[in-house]
Amino acid sequence: MSDDLKAKVQELIDSTINPAVAGHGGFVELIDIQDSRVYLQLGGGCQGCGMSDVTLKAGIERLIKEEIPEVAEVVDTTDHASGSNPYYTPGKA
Amino acid sequence: MDRLLLLLPTTTYRTEDFLDAAHRLGVDLVCASEAPSTFEHHAPERLLTLDFTDPAGAANTVARFAHRYPIAGVVGVDDRTTVVAAAIGERLGLRANSIGSATASRNKRLMRERLAAAGVRQPPFQLMSLEADPRALARHVVYPCVLKPLALSASRGVIRANDAAQFADAVLRIRAILGRDDVTVDDEAKHACLVEKFIPGFEVALEGLLVDSELRVLALFDKPDPLDGPFFEETLYVTPSRLAPDVQKAIAHATAEACRALGLDRGPVHVELRLNDDGPWVIEVAARSIGGLCSRTLRFGTGMSLEELILRQALGWPLPSTERDGQAAGVMMIPIPRAGRLVAVHGVDAATAVPNIEDVVISAHLDQELVPLPEGWQYLGFIFARAETPGEVETALREAHTRLSFDIDTPARRPSSP
Repeated sequence: MSDDLKAKVQELIDSTINPAVAGHGGFVELIDIQDSRVYLQLGGGCQGCGMSDVTLKAGIERLIKEEIPEVAEVVDTTDHASGSNPYYTPGKA
Repeated sequence: MDRLLLLLPTTTYRTEDFLDAAHRLGVDLVCASEAPSTFEHHAPERLLTLDFTDPAGAANTVARFAHRYPIAGVVGVDDRTTVVAAAIGERLGLRANSIGSATASRNKRLMRERLAAAGVRQPPFQLMSLEADPRALARHVVYPCVLKPLALSASRGVIRANDAAQFADAVLRIRAILGRDDVTVDDEAKHACLVEKFIPGFEVALEGLLVDSELRVLALFDKPDPLDGPFFEETLYVTPSRLAPDVQKAIAHATAEACRALGLDRGPVHVELRLNDDGPWVIEVAARSIGGLCSRTLRFGTGMSLEELILRQALGWPLPSTERDGQAAGVMMIPIPRAGRLVAVHGVDAATAVPNIEDVVISAHLDQELVPLPEGWQYLGFIFARAETPGEVETALREAHTRLSFDIDTPARRPSSP
């Protein structure tokens, strides 16, 4: 991955994304960038959380694509099934 | 690009599938939950917090939002959001059921009263106060009966009683359930419950879409495992139904009658019915689509999901085929074997390897406290199958289930504190 693109994404994760999800005990890790696709892994309260999709698509992905237009897509590589402390656990609503 | 408001309780199972559907349709999505998203400040045009217990207040909030970000459609994904969706729809002039009809489907007393007024076949019922002495109440009941909270979902709190002693126990149990921190119901639902005559018979679930008051049957699911109580944990759903065509027709007719009686005229409906020699009995009408992850059994036309159909209808877009694809399909909602902390899950790969099994999803997380019915409110997981015939689907689901095992740490087994 281009070092410059990686640095931009990492800076956004460190300055804005992780401080936001920290409120729910979560964190986001940059795994890789390939062909303008950013691969992320969610952990802590985000892993297995019922709202992680909203956080990712309406929050994280939107923010990254707005701030770094060269990013085409954000991909979640998290193994959500292994999350042991999700912030929101799905139930019969 | 049309903007659609999706009402997503933070504890719903439906988030991923509805978001996927919106993405495939290219819809501009606003997600509203009852608790703030961590990104609400960063994306105020996409994320909203609404009080789902205050439909009028929620509608006001959305009306202010829509001044700046016009909304073309609203969808409530679960029972908790049907009335709010109706209120927002009415306030903004969107395609939605009336508040009155959504309320009638949400409150089981209202539902029963409206169905009775329309002459729809349903269990005889009475409303009982949960405040009175249960032993005194028990004397005024015909047994076997089913006690049912007014506003909970998926058989939570639903208990069969065969005699006065069981009835009294059930009342105490329901009172405790309604007092739990994770239960939010209005005053009436907190202090009363329905008592219905137990209707023996084979149970089915009809998944439908109301289009301008006309019922389109999307799928009729058989529930092959008997649901005779004392608790009514659903396990298997298999479609297409193996019931005779005239019986299926009678089920569809009863469903349409029930929807009309409640005043529902658009959107998804999920209706439970029992069948016996008297015909179909309407047990429950929900003005929302099938719960849990069960919608993944359904594909329409050239592979469209149920969620895509629902979103298209809410936006007033043309509906392509609502014919289900040709294969038989089914789901098992994995029963919770016992209460306790989930320590480990074994056999997922072996279960997935069973012929005709499409997927195995363990939705409970490790260390989660599993709570069986009637107190329980979460699924352990889901097994999905697709095959040429319903019989093959059922066989695959049962076989896959036998290959799963769960290590559950029960309180009695836990080491005592030093």
